[in-house]
Amino acid sequence: MVKLLGKTIVMLAAFGAANAFGQSAQAWLDRMNRTVEELSYEGTFVHVFGGTAETLRIVHRNSDGRIAERILSLNGIGREIIREQGEVKCILPDRRMVLLLQARHHSSSLATALPSYSEKLIPYYKFELYHTERVANRLTQVVGIKPKDQYRYGYMLWLDEKTAMPLKSQLRSETGKIVEQILFTDFKPSSQIPESALKPSIDTTGFKWFRPPQKWAGKNSDKKKPIPWRASLLPKGFSLAAFTERPIAGSQYPVDHLVYSDGLATVSVFIENPKSHTDVTEGFSTLGSTNAYSLTINGRKVTAIGEVPRRTVRQIASSLIPE
Amino acid sequence: MQEQISAFIDDELSAEECAFLVRRLERDPPARGRLIRYSAIGAVLRGELVHAEPSLLRRRLQEELNGTGLAEKSPAPQAPRARKFLKPALSAGIAASVAVVALFSLKAFNSVDVEQNATLAKDAVQGDGWSEPASYVVPQEPTSRSVVSPPIRLTNYLINHSEYTSPLSRTSVHSNVVGAADPGANDAGSDASGANVSYESDDPAEAM
Repeated sequence: MVKLLGKTIVMLAAFGAANAFGQSAQAWLDRMNRTVEELSYEGTFVHVFGGTAETLRIVHRNSDGRIAERILSLNGIGREIIREQGEVKCILPDRRMVLLLQARHHSSSLATALPSYSEKLIPYYKFELYHTERVANRLTQVVGIKPKDQYRYGYMLWLDEKTAMPLKSQLRSETGKIVEQILFTDFKPSSQIPESALKPSIDTTGFKWFRPPQKWAGKNSDKKKPIPWRASLLPKGFSLAAFTERPIAGSQYPVDHLVYSDGLATVSVFIENPKSHTDVTEGFSTLGSTNAYSLTINGRKVTAIGEVPRRTVRQIASSLIPE
Repeated sequence: MQEQISAFIDDELSAEECAFLVRRLERDPPARGRLIRYSAIGAVLRGELVHAEPSLLRRRLQEELNGTGLAEKSPAPQAPRARKFLKPALSAGIAASVAVVALFSLKAFNSVDVEQNATLAKDAVQGDGWSEPASYVVPQEPTSRSVVSPPIRLTNYLINHSEYTSPLSRTSVHSNVVGAADPGANDAGSDASGANVSYESDDPAEAM
Protein backbone atom coordinates (compact mmCIF):
# COMPACT_ATOMS: atom_id res chain seq x y z
CA MET A 1 0.00 0.00 0.00
CA VAL A 2 2.79 2.33 0.99
CA LYS A 3 4.66 1.33 -2.17
CA LEU A 4 1.58 2.07 -4.31
CA LEU A 5 1.09 5.42 -2.61
CA GLY A 6 4.75 6.22 -3.16
CA LYS A 7 4.51 5.32 -6.84
CA THR A 8 1.37 7.43 -7.22
CA ILE A 9 3.05 10.43 -5.59
CA VAL A 10 6.08 10.04 -7.84
CA MET A 11 3.86 9.75 -10.93
CA LEU A 12 1.77 12.77 -9.94
CA ALA A 13 4.90 14.77 -9.24
CA ALA A 14 6.34 13.80 -12.61
CA PHE A 15 3.09 14.65 -14.38
CA GLY A 16 2.88 17.97 -12.55
CA ALA A 17 6.46 18.83 -13.43
CA ALA A 18 5.92 17.90 -17.07
CA ASN A 19 2.73 19.90 -17.22
CA ALA A 20 4.35 22.94 -15.62
CA PHE A 21 7.22 22.59 -18.08
CA GLY A 22 4.83 22.49 -21.02
CA GLN A 23 2.81 25.43 -19.75
CA SER A 24 5.96 27.37 -19.29
CA ALA A 25 6.92 26.82 -22.94
CA GLN A 26 3.46 27.94 -23.99
CA ALA A 27 3.69 31.00 -21.78
CA TRP A 28 6.93 31.89 -23.56
CA LEU A 29 5.22 31.45 -26.93
CA ASP A 30 2.24 33.59 -25.96
CA ARG A 31 4.68 36.27 -24.86
CA MET A 32 6.49 35.92 -28.18
CA ASN A 33 3.25 36.28 -30.12
CA ARG A 34 2.43 39.54 -28.40
CA THR A 35 5.99 40.84 -28.70
CA VAL A 36 6.36 40.22 -32.41
CA GLU A 37 3.29 42.34 -33.04
CA GLU A 38 3.33 44.89 -30.21
CA LEU A 39 7.01 45.68 -29.67
CA SER A 40 8.67 48.42 -31.70
CA TYR A 41 12.04 47.29 -32.93
CA GLU A 42 14.64 47.39 -35.67
CA GLY A 43 16.90 44.59 -36.73
CA THR A 44 18.85 42.76 -39.40
CA PHE A 45 18.34 39.09 -40.00
CA VAL A 46 19.59 36.33 -42.25
CA HIS A 47 16.93 34.22 -43.93
CA VAL A 48 18.27 30.81 -44.93
CA PHE A 49 16.42 28.36 -47.11
CA GLY A 50 17.61 25.53 -49.31
CA GLY A 51 21.26 26.49 -49.07
CA THR A 52 20.65 30.11 -50.03
CA ALA A 53 20.81 33.03 -47.64
CA GLU A 54 19.42 36.53 -47.87
CA THR A 55 20.11 39.40 -45.50
CA LEU A 56 17.07 41.46 -44.66
CA ARG A 57 16.32 44.52 -42.59
CA ILE A 58 13.13 44.84 -40.54
CA VAL A 59 11.61 47.92 -38.94
CA HIS A 60 8.49 47.30 -36.86
CA ARG A 61 6.61 50.11 -35.16
CA ASN A 62 3.65 50.00 -32.80
CA SER A 63 2.34 53.51 -32.39
CA ASP A 64 -0.69 53.43 -30.10
CA GLY A 65 -1.86 50.17 -31.61
CA ARG A 66 -1.22 51.22 -35.19
CA ILE A 67 1.21 48.68 -36.54
CA ALA A 68 3.60 49.52 -39.35
CA GLU A 69 6.34 47.29 -40.68
CA ARG A 70 8.96 47.44 -43.38
CA ILE A 71 11.06 44.51 -44.58
CA LEU A 72 13.69 45.05 -47.22
CA SER A 73 16.32 42.93 -48.82
CA LEU A 74 19.84 44.24 -48.23
CA ASN A 75 21.37 42.36 -51.11
CA GLY A 76 20.32 41.19 -54.52
CA ILE A 77 17.52 43.12 -56.11
CA GLY A 78 16.40 45.02 -53.02
CA ARG A 79 12.70 44.29 -52.85
CA GLU A 80 10.65 45.80 -50.05
CA ILE A 81 7.35 45.09 -48.30
CA ILE A 82 5.72 47.88 -46.30
CA ARG A 83 2.66 47.11 -44.23
CA GLU A 84 0.93 50.21 -42.93
CA GLN A 85 -2.50 51.75 -42.44
CA GLY A 86 -4.57 48.90 -43.77
CA GLU A 87 -2.39 48.42 -46.80
CA VAL A 88 0.45 46.15 -47.82
CA LYS A 89 2.80 47.53 -50.44
CA CYS A 90 5.15 45.13 -52.21
CA ILE A 91 7.84 46.92 -54.22
CA LEU A 92 9.52 44.80 -56.89
CA PRO A 93 12.27 46.96 -58.42
CA ASP A 94 13.47 44.10 -60.63
CA ARG A 95 10.12 44.19 -62.40
CA ARG A 96 9.57 47.94 -61.90
CA MET A 97 6.31 47.07 -60.25
CA VAL A 98 4.40 47.81 -57.04
CA LEU A 99 1.65 45.55 -55.73
CA LEU A 100 -0.86 47.13 -53.38
CA LEU A 101 -3.00 44.87 -51.22
CA GLN A 102 -5.52 45.39 -48.48
CA ALA A 103 -4.32 44.45 -45.02
CA ARG A 104 -6.65 42.32 -42.99
CA HIS A 105 -9.43 43.94 -40.97
CA HIS A 106 -8.80 42.63 -37.48
CA SER A 107 -12.14 43.84 -36.17
CA SER A 108 -14.05 41.23 -38.15
CA SER A 109 -16.02 38.67 -36.21
CA LEU A 110 -15.14 36.00 -38.76
CA ALA A 111 -11.44 36.65 -38.66
CA THR A 112 -9.57 34.54 -36.19
CA ALA A 113 -7.42 35.89 -33.45
CA LEU A 114 -3.68 35.44 -33.73
CA PRO A 115 -2.69 31.86 -33.02
CA SER A 116 -2.54 31.24 -29.31
CA TYR A 117 -0.64 28.41 -27.70
CA SER A 118 -3.62 26.85 -25.97
CA GLU A 119 -4.52 23.33 -24.88
CA LYS A 120 -6.19 22.92 -28.27
CA LEU A 121 -2.75 22.45 -29.82
CA ILE A 122 -1.65 19.66 -27.49
CA PRO A 123 -2.97 16.78 -29.68
CA TYR A 124 -0.97 18.06 -32.64
CA TYR A 125 2.19 19.58 -31.18
CA LYS A 126 4.58 18.90 -28.35
CA PHE A 127 5.96 21.96 -26.56
CA GLU A 128 9.32 21.82 -24.90
CA LEU A 129 11.56 24.19 -23.05
CA TYR A 130 15.31 23.75 -23.50
CA HIS A 131 18.38 25.60 -22.37
CA THR A 132 19.41 29.23 -22.62
CA GLU A 133 21.87 30.47 -25.22
CA ARG A 134 23.26 33.74 -26.58
CA VAL A 135 22.05 34.97 -29.96
CA ALA A 136 22.89 38.42 -31.40
CA ASN A 137 24.73 39.04 -28.14
CA ARG A 138 21.53 38.61 -26.12
CA LEU A 139 20.49 35.80 -23.81
CA THR A 140 17.74 33.63 -25.25
CA GLN A 141 15.50 30.81 -24.07
CA VAL A 142 15.22 27.90 -26.51
CA VAL A 143 11.68 26.60 -27.03
CA GLY A 144 10.60 23.72 -29.27
CA ILE A 145 7.26 23.12 -30.95
CA LYS A 146 7.33 19.62 -32.37
CA PRO A 147 4.57 18.43 -34.71
CA LYS A 148 3.01 15.06 -33.96
CA ASP A 149 2.21 14.14 -37.56
CA GLN A 150 3.33 14.83 -41.12
CA TYR A 151 0.73 17.48 -41.87
CA ARG A 152 2.39 20.40 -40.12
CA TYR A 153 5.78 21.87 -39.42
CA GLY A 154 7.27 22.70 -36.06
CA TYR A 155 9.64 25.33 -34.76
CA MET A 156 12.77 25.61 -32.71
CA LEU A 157 12.82 29.14 -31.33
CA TRP A 158 15.47 31.16 -29.53
CA LEU A 159 13.46 33.77 -27.61
CA ASP A 160 15.06 36.89 -26.20
CA GLU A 161 14.92 36.64 -22.40
CA LYS A 162 13.95 40.27 -22.00
CA THR A 163 11.37 40.69 -24.75
CA ALA A 164 10.53 37.13 -25.96
CA MET A 165 11.39 38.25 -29.48
CA PRO A 166 12.43 35.24 -31.62
CA LEU A 167 16.05 36.11 -32.42
CA LYS A 168 16.56 32.80 -34.13
CA SER A 169 13.91 30.46 -35.48
CA GLN A 170 14.07 27.21 -37.36
CA LEU A 171 11.08 25.83 -39.19
CA ARG A 172 11.40 22.06 -38.95
CA SER A 173 9.71 19.06 -40.44
CA GLU A 174 8.18 16.30 -38.37
CA THR A 175 11.51 14.45 -38.44
CA GLY A 176 13.42 17.50 -37.28
CA LYS A 177 14.86 18.43 -40.66
CA ILE A 178 15.47 22.17 -40.91
CA VAL A 179 13.27 23.67 -43.60
CA GLU A 180 14.07 27.34 -43.04
CA GLN A 181 16.05 29.48 -40.63
CA ILE A 182 15.80 33.09 -39.59
CA LEU A 183 18.61 34.53 -37.51
CA PHE A 184 18.88 38.07 -36.21
CA THR A 185 22.42 39.39 -36.34
CA ASP A 186 21.33 42.69 -34.92
CA PHE A 187 18.22 43.48 -32.87
CA LYS A 188 17.28 46.68 -31.11
CA PRO A 189 13.97 47.39 -29.34
CA SER A 190 13.23 51.04 -29.94
CA SER A 191 10.37 53.23 -28.82
CA GLN A 192 11.42 55.99 -31.19
CA ILE A 193 11.14 54.79 -34.77
CA PRO A 194 10.89 57.76 -37.11
CA GLU A 195 8.42 57.89 -39.96
CA SER A 196 11.33 58.00 -42.37
CA ALA A 197 12.42 54.49 -41.34
CA LEU A 198 9.16 53.16 -42.78
CA LYS A 199 9.47 54.91 -46.12
CA PRO A 200 10.65 52.92 -49.13
CA SER A 201 14.25 53.44 -50.12
CA ILE A 202 13.40 52.77 -53.76
CA ASP A 203 12.30 55.52 -56.10
CA THR A 204 9.16 54.07 -57.68
CA THR A 205 8.82 56.73 -60.33
CA GLY A 206 7.83 55.06 -63.56
CA PHE A 207 6.89 51.79 -61.86
CA LYS A 208 3.62 50.07 -62.71
CA TRP A 209 1.23 50.02 -59.80
CA PHE A 210 -1.16 47.11 -59.44
CA ARG A 211 -3.92 47.57 -56.93
CA PRO A 212 -7.38 46.29 -56.13
CA PRO A 213 -10.24 47.75 -58.17
CA GLN A 214 -11.40 51.12 -56.91
CA LYS A 215 -14.82 49.73 -55.95
CA TRP A 216 -13.11 47.71 -53.21
CA ALA A 217 -11.32 50.66 -51.67
CA GLY A 218 -11.99 50.90 -47.95
CA LYS A 219 -14.41 47.96 -47.97
CA ASN A 220 -14.24 45.40 -45.22
CA SER A 221 -13.79 42.21 -47.17
CA ASP A 222 -14.27 40.10 -44.04
CA LYS A 223 -18.01 40.77 -44.10
CA LYS A 224 -20.39 37.92 -43.48
CA LYS A 225 -21.72 36.09 -46.53
CA PRO A 226 -22.52 32.49 -47.32
CA ILE A 227 -19.46 30.32 -47.68
CA PRO A 228 -19.68 28.72 -51.13
CA TRP A 229 -16.91 26.12 -50.76
CA ARG A 230 -15.56 23.73 -48.19
CA ALA A 231 -12.62 21.34 -47.90
CA SER A 232 -14.08 17.89 -47.43
CA LEU A 233 -10.89 16.16 -46.27
CA LEU A 234 -8.97 18.22 -43.76
CA PRO A 235 -5.95 16.95 -41.83
CA LYS A 236 -6.77 16.39 -38.17
CA GLY A 237 -7.02 19.56 -36.14
CA PHE A 238 -7.60 21.91 -39.07
CA SER A 239 -10.88 23.78 -39.25
CA LEU A 240 -12.24 26.80 -41.09
CA ALA A 241 -10.98 29.92 -39.37
CA ALA A 242 -12.04 32.63 -41.78
CA PHE A 243 -13.71 33.28 -45.09
CA THR A 244 -13.41 36.45 -47.12
CA GLU A 245 -14.02 37.68 -50.61
CA ARG A 246 -10.82 39.55 -51.40
CA PRO A 247 -9.79 41.87 -54.16
CA ILE A 248 -6.61 40.96 -55.97
CA ALA A 249 -4.17 43.58 -57.17
CA GLY A 250 -4.37 43.83 -60.94
CA SER A 251 -7.60 41.85 -61.30
CA GLN A 252 -11.15 43.10 -61.65
CA TYR A 253 -12.50 39.91 -60.10
CA PRO A 254 -12.20 39.20 -56.39
CA VAL A 255 -11.19 35.78 -55.11
CA ASP A 256 -12.85 33.69 -52.44
CA HIS A 257 -10.34 33.19 -49.64
CA LEU A 258 -10.84 30.37 -47.15
CA VAL A 259 -8.48 30.13 -44.19
CA TYR A 260 -7.96 26.80 -42.43
CA SER A 261 -5.95 26.58 -39.25
CA ASP A 262 -5.04 24.11 -36.56
CA GLY A 263 -4.44 27.03 -34.21
CA LEU A 264 -0.81 27.43 -35.24
CA ALA A 265 -0.33 26.44 -38.87
CA THR A 266 -2.48 28.24 -41.41
CA VAL A 267 -3.49 27.25 -44.92
CA SER A 268 -5.19 29.70 -47.27
CA VAL A 269 -7.31 28.50 -50.16
CA PHE A 270 -7.92 30.95 -52.99
CA ILE A 271 -10.72 30.26 -55.46
CA GLU A 272 -10.67 32.37 -58.59
CA ASN A 273 -13.61 33.67 -60.54
CA PRO A 274 -14.14 31.51 -63.67
CA LYS A 275 -13.62 34.62 -65.85
CA SER A 276 -10.34 35.43 -64.23
CA HIS A 277 -7.10 34.55 -65.94
CA THR A 278 -4.29 33.63 -63.57
CA ASP A 279 -0.65 32.86 -64.14
CA VAL A 280 -0.46 30.23 -61.42
CA THR A 281 0.77 26.91 -62.72
CA GLU A 282 -1.20 23.79 -61.81
CA GLY A 283 0.51 21.43 -59.39
CA PHE A 284 3.02 22.27 -56.71
CA SER A 285 4.84 25.56 -56.29
CA THR A 286 7.32 26.37 -53.59
CA LEU A 287 8.52 29.72 -52.39
CA GLY A 288 10.90 29.37 -49.49
CA SER A 289 9.12 27.51 -46.75
CA THR A 290 5.72 28.14 -48.29
CA ASN A 291 4.14 25.39 -50.34
CA ALA A 292 1.28 25.83 -52.77
CA TYR A 293 -0.84 23.43 -54.78
CA SER A 294 -3.13 24.52 -57.63
CA LEU A 295 -5.75 22.71 -59.63
CA THR A 296 -8.96 23.50 -61.48
CA ILE A 297 -12.28 22.53 -59.91
CA ASN A 298 -15.56 23.26 -61.69
CA GLY A 299 -13.82 25.68 -64.02
CA ARG A 300 -12.23 27.65 -61.18
CA LYS A 301 -8.56 27.80 -60.39
CA VAL A 302 -8.08 26.69 -56.78
CA THR A 303 -4.81 27.26 -54.93
CA ALA A 304 -4.00 26.16 -51.38
CA ILE A 305 -0.97 27.83 -49.83
CA GLY A 306 0.73 27.67 -46.44
CA GLU A 307 3.84 27.03 -44.37
CA VAL A 308 2.96 23.37 -44.17
CA PRO A 309 4.25 20.24 -45.93
CA ARG A 310 3.25 19.66 -49.55
CA ARG A 311 0.89 16.84 -48.67
CA THR A 312 -1.19 19.22 -46.56
CA VAL A 313 -1.79 21.83 -49.27
CA ARG A 314 -2.51 19.12 -51.83
CA GLN A 315 -5.00 17.34 -49.61
CA ILE A 316 -6.87 20.50 -48.72
CA ALA A 317 -6.98 21.88 -52.29
CA SER A 318 -7.96 18.55 -53.83
CA SER A 319 -10.80 18.01 -51.40
CA LEU A 320 -12.50 21.32 -52.06
CA ILE A 321 -16.17 21.01 -53.03
CA PRO A 322 -18.87 23.60 -53.71
CA GLU A 323 -21.51 23.85 -50.97
CA MET B 1 27.53 20.17 -56.06
CA GLN B 2 25.53 22.12 -53.50
CA GLU B 3 24.86 18.97 -51.53
CA GLN B 4 28.53 18.09 -51.64
CA ILE B 5 29.49 21.49 -50.29
CA SER B 6 26.92 21.18 -47.52
CA ALA B 7 28.20 17.72 -46.65
CA PHE B 8 31.78 19.05 -46.75
CA ILE B 9 30.88 21.83 -44.30
CA ASP B 10 29.12 19.35 -42.08
CA ASP B 11 32.19 17.10 -42.19
CA GLU B 12 30.22 14.25 -43.72
CA LEU B 13 32.49 13.51 -46.68
CA SER B 14 35.06 10.76 -46.78
CA ALA B 15 38.70 11.59 -47.56
CA GLU B 16 38.20 10.48 -51.19
CA GLU B 17 35.07 12.58 -51.56
CA CYS B 18 36.89 15.56 -50.01
CA ALA B 19 39.72 15.18 -52.51
CA PHE B 20 37.23 14.94 -55.37
CA LEU B 21 35.39 18.03 -54.17
CA VAL B 22 38.61 19.98 -53.82
CA ARG B 23 39.54 19.11 -57.42
CA ARG B 24 36.17 20.38 -58.55
CA LEU B 25 36.51 23.52 -56.45
CA GLU B 26 39.80 24.27 -58.16
CA ARG B 27 38.00 24.44 -61.49
CA ASP B 28 34.81 26.05 -60.28
CA PRO B 29 35.14 29.59 -58.86
CA PRO B 30 31.35 30.03 -58.27
CA ALA B 31 31.36 26.83 -56.21
CA ARG B 32 34.32 28.15 -54.22
CA GLY B 33 32.30 31.31 -53.60
CA ARG B 34 29.38 29.20 -52.38
CA LEU B 35 31.64 27.34 -49.99
CA ILE B 36 32.87 30.64 -48.57
CA ARG B 37 29.33 31.94 -48.17
CA TYR B 38 28.09 28.76 -46.51
CA SER B 39 31.05 28.69 -44.16
CA ALA B 40 30.44 32.31 -43.19
CA ILE B 41 26.70 31.70 -42.75
CA GLY B 42 27.43 28.63 -40.67
CA ALA B 43 29.75 30.64 -38.47
CA VAL B 44 27.13 33.40 -38.09
CA LEU B 45 24.42 30.90 -37.27
CA ARG B 46 26.62 29.33 -34.64
CA GLY B 47 27.11 32.79 -33.18
CA GLU B 48 30.83 32.70 -33.78
CA LEU B 49 31.06 35.94 -35.67
CA VAL B 50 29.56 38.16 -33.00
CA HIS B 51 32.97 39.41 -32.06
CA ALA B 52 34.77 38.33 -35.17
CA GLU B 53 35.75 40.38 -38.17
CA PRO B 54 33.70 39.03 -41.10
CA SER B 55 35.78 40.73 -43.80
CA LEU B 56 38.95 39.25 -42.34
CA LEU B 57 37.33 35.82 -42.21
CA ARG B 58 36.13 36.19 -45.79
CA ARG B 59 39.59 37.27 -46.95
CA ARG B 60 41.28 34.42 -45.13
CA LEU B 61 38.89 31.88 -46.55
CA GLN B 62 39.26 33.34 -50.02
CA GLU B 63 43.03 33.26 -49.77
CA GLU B 64 42.99 29.75 -48.44
CA LEU B 65 40.64 28.48 -51.09
CA ASN B 66 42.50 30.26 -53.84
CA GLY B 67 45.74 28.87 -52.54
CA THR B 68 47.14 32.39 -52.83
CA GLY B 69 49.70 31.93 -50.11
CA LEU B 70 51.01 28.78 -51.70
CA ALA B 71 51.17 30.34 -55.13
CA GLU B 72 53.17 33.26 -53.79
CA LYS B 73 55.60 30.90 -52.16
CA SER B 74 55.91 28.67 -55.21
CA PRO B 75 59.42 28.45 -56.59
CA ALA B 76 60.70 30.36 -59.58
CA PRO B 77 60.00 28.86 -63.03
CA GLN B 78 61.63 25.49 -63.47
CA ALA B 79 63.06 23.84 -66.49
CA PRO B 80 60.27 22.52 -68.79
CA ARG B 81 60.95 18.90 -67.92
CA ALA B 82 60.96 19.57 -64.23
CA ARG B 83 57.74 21.58 -64.60
CA LYS B 84 56.10 18.66 -66.40
CA PHE B 85 56.45 16.57 -63.26
CA LEU B 86 56.03 19.44 -60.86
CA LYS B 87 52.69 20.66 -62.19
CA PRO B 88 50.56 17.70 -61.13
CA ALA B 89 52.39 17.56 -57.84
CA LEU B 90 51.83 21.25 -57.25
CA SER B 91 48.22 20.88 -58.26
CA ALA B 92 47.80 18.00 -55.85
CA GLY B 93 49.59 20.05 -53.22
CA ILE B 94 47.27 22.97 -53.76
CA ALA B 95 44.27 20.67 -53.67
CA ALA B 96 45.46 19.01 -50.52
CA SER B 97 46.31 22.29 -48.87
CA VAL B 98 42.94 23.77 -49.81
CA ALA B 99 41.23 20.77 -48.29
CA VAL B 100 43.40 20.76 -45.21
CA VAL B 101 43.28 24.50 -44.68
CA ALA B 102 39.54 24.67 -45.30
CA LEU B 103 38.87 21.76 -43.01
CA PHE B 104 41.15 23.13 -40.33
CA SER B 105 39.61 26.58 -40.65
CA LEU B 106 36.15 25.14 -40.27
CA LYS B 107 37.25 22.95 -37.40
CA ALA B 108 38.80 25.98 -35.75
CA PHE B 109 35.56 27.94 -36.16
CA ASN B 110 33.62 25.02 -34.78
CA SER B 111 35.89 24.42 -31.86
CA VAL B 112 34.64 27.50 -30.02
CA ASP B 113 31.25 26.10 -29.27
CA VAL B 114 31.40 22.46 -30.17
CA GLU B 115 31.92 21.26 -26.64
CA GLN B 116 29.29 23.56 -25.26
CA ASN B 117 26.81 22.64 -27.99
CA ALA B 118 27.50 18.96 -27.55
CA THR B 119 26.67 19.28 -23.88
CA LEU B 120 23.54 21.21 -24.68
CA ALA B 121 22.49 18.67 -27.25
CA LYS B 122 23.08 15.93 -24.73
CA ASP B 123 20.89 17.81 -22.30
CA ALA B 124 18.09 18.04 -24.83
CA VAL B 125 15.29 15.75 -23.87
CA GLN B 126 14.53 14.09 -27.20
CA GLY B 127 16.62 11.66 -29.10
CA ASP B 128 15.37 12.24 -32.64
CA GLY B 129 16.05 14.97 -35.21
CA TRP B 130 14.43 17.45 -32.90
CA SER B 131 17.44 17.48 -30.64
CA GLU B 132 19.22 20.74 -31.11
CA PRO B 133 21.97 20.35 -33.68
CA ALA B 134 25.49 20.63 -32.32
CA SER B 135 26.57 22.37 -35.48
CA TYR B 136 24.89 24.24 -38.27
CA VAL B 137 23.51 22.11 -41.08
CA VAL B 138 22.86 23.77 -44.41
CA PRO B 139 19.18 23.00 -44.99
CA GLN B 140 18.41 21.33 -48.28
CA GLU B 141 15.49 22.10 -50.51
CA PRO B 142 12.82 19.43 -49.99
CA THR B 143 12.49 18.92 -53.73
CA SER B 144 14.50 21.36 -55.72
CA ARG B 145 12.76 20.40 -58.96
CA SER B 146 9.44 21.65 -57.59
CA VAL B 147 10.78 25.11 -56.80
CA VAL B 148 9.47 27.66 -59.23
CA SER B 149 9.70 31.41 -59.41
CA PRO B 150 6.50 32.90 -58.09
CA PRO B 151 4.20 34.51 -60.60
CA ILE B 152 2.67 37.79 -59.54
CA ARG B 153 -0.66 36.18 -58.71
CA LEU B 154 1.13 33.80 -56.37
CA THR B 155 2.82 36.78 -54.74
CA ASN B 156 -0.64 38.29 -54.33
CA TYR B 157 -1.83 35.09 -52.67
CA LEU B 158 1.21 34.93 -50.42
CA ILE B 159 0.78 38.42 -49.07
CA ASN B 160 -2.96 37.97 -48.60
CA HIS B 161 -2.27 34.67 -46.86
CA SER B 162 0.30 36.29 -44.57
CA GLU B 163 -2.43 38.52 -43.17
CA TYR B 164 -3.96 35.44 -41.54
CA THR B 165 -0.84 33.76 -40.23
CA SER B 166 0.96 34.27 -36.95
CA PRO B 167 3.33 37.25 -36.88
CA LEU B 168 6.22 34.78 -36.88
CA SER B 169 5.00 33.12 -40.06
CA ARG B 170 4.24 36.50 -41.62
CA THR B 171 7.89 37.52 -41.28
CA SER B 172 8.84 34.25 -42.93
CA VAL B 173 6.38 34.69 -45.80
CA HIS B 174 7.42 38.29 -46.39
CA SER B 175 11.07 37.22 -46.33
CA ASN B 176 10.27 34.64 -48.98
CA VAL B 177 8.69 37.30 -51.19
CA VAL B 178 11.39 39.90 -50.64
CA GLY B 179 14.26 37.46 -50.86
CA ALA B 180 13.05 35.27 -53.74
CA ALA B 181 15.64 34.83 -56.46
CA ASP B 182 13.36 35.95 -59.23
CA PRO B 183 9.68 36.82 -59.23
CA GLY B 184 8.96 34.87 -62.35
CA ALA B 185 8.77 35.46 -66.01
CA ASN B 186 5.01 35.80 -66.11
CA ASP B 187 3.43 39.15 -66.33
CA ALA B 188 1.16 40.65 -63.71
CA GLY B 189 -2.07 38.93 -62.90
CA SER B 190 -4.12 40.60 -65.53
CA ASP B 191 -7.52 39.28 -66.38
CA ALA B 192 -8.39 37.69 -69.68
CA SER B 193 -10.39 40.77 -70.54
CA GLY B 194 -7.24 42.83 -70.38
CA ALA B 195 -9.05 45.01 -67.90
CA ASN B 196 -6.00 45.24 -65.69
CA VAL B 197 -5.14 48.50 -67.41
CA SER B 198 -7.71 50.26 -65.35
CA TYR B 199 -6.09 49.03 -62.12
CA GLU B 200 -2.58 50.08 -62.82
CA SER B 201 -1.09 53.50 -62.82
CA ASP B 202 2.29 54.88 -63.60
CA ASP B 203 1.68 57.73 -61.25
CA PRO B 204 2.66 56.80 -57.70
CA ALA B 205 0.90 59.82 -56.30
CA GLU B 206 -2.37 58.73 -57.86
CA ALA B 207 -1.93 55.16 -56.77
CA MET B 208 -1.11 56.11 -53.20
